[in-house]
Amino acid sequence: MPVTTPQALFIGLLQGATELFPVSSLGHAVVLPSLLHWNFDQSNPSFLPFLVLLHLGTATALVVLYRYEWARIIAGFVRAALRGRIEGPDERLAMLLAVGTIPAGAVGELFIKPLTANFGRPVLAAAMLIVNGGILLGAEVLRRRSERANTSREEQEHEFKEVSQISFPAALVVGMAQIAALVPGISRSGVTMAGGLLAGLRHQEAAKFSFLLATPIIAAAGVLEVPQLFQQPEALGARTLGVYLASAVLAGLAAYASARFLIRYFKSGRLDPYGWYCIAFGAISLVLLR
Amino acid sequence: MQSIPQSAPLSILLVVLAVLFAVVAVLYAVGTIQFLVTDTHAPHHFTHAILFAVLAVASLIAANFTRPRTA
Repeated sequence: MPVTTPQALFIGLLQGATELFPVSSLGHAVVLPSLLHWNFDQSNPSFLPFLVLLHLGTATALVVLYRYEWARIIAGFVRAALRGRIEGPDERLAMLLAVGTIPAGAVGELFIKPLTANFGRPVLAAAMLIVNGGILLGAEVLRRRSERANTSREEQEHEFKEVSQISFPAALVVGMAQIAALVPGISRSGVTMAGGLLAGLRHQEAAKFSFLLATPIIAAAGVLEVPQLFQQPEALGARTLGVYLASAVLAGLAAYASARFLIRYFKSGRLDPYGWYCIAFGAISLVLLR
Repeated sequence: MQSIPQSAPLSILLVVLAVLFAVVAVLYAVGTIQFLVTDTHAPHHFTHAILFAVLAVASLIAANFTRPRTA
């Protein structure tokens, strides 16, 4: 059964909102339809263009949000690549993002993605949500050990690094952590934020690094799938295309609002609430899906 | 700003790697190789081709970073 209009709009909103929150959009996309007894077929050929458009909507939101940073990052990347030497924070950030994205993208696409192709089972995704919660809480436990006690949260955060100050090996490790997010239930933004915290970044900077790392990967996931749109056996009807586009816009708006909220939240907030949410949602889902 | 090891052999190795990646990208694009793909019946593997093209460019950039400078 193909996806209905309300379902499409709901999934668009859900994907956009949960893609950047450290709670696994893929996990929610696998678990929630089962909990709601929606029996649309995710392997239906018409579902692929839908996913492509949702990814492009989310990536567009991130590009719009960080448009000035991306302009500086791209210019910095080209300058540093041609010169063969890094000068200045923009060039360093550009190369950190390249180191965090390219090896992880290659290893994930070539070796891990084929292995996880059959991992889209709701029970497994629910279990992995609990694991994701454990990762977020664990990162905060380790972080608290390196914070100075009896100071305000702002002062504690100020003692940690900005994005452009982390080391290249740390950027590589944080980037590689994204591979775990190919398993439904493990959040890409969750593992990269947790990795960023362990690398000594401030919460807000860890979130920013996570969003910057996510942009090329989400955009690539969308753009690389575009050729498949033209291989569909049947052309999409105007109405279906309209619903899909509306869902993509909704996903983009939700992603934009989520990113703005999270950047403000992480000025002094922690990952704990999202960790507990994942554990609770995963546990309840496991009970309901029995 | 960064202390990246600069050596001619490493630089040459990275250029060779870049050429290899470029060749593999072309082979995936024309569908000659079916290694590490999920759909072995597909005539082309453009995703893998683009990925290896990116790796080729990244290797060339790395080679530029590691090449010894005369000045």
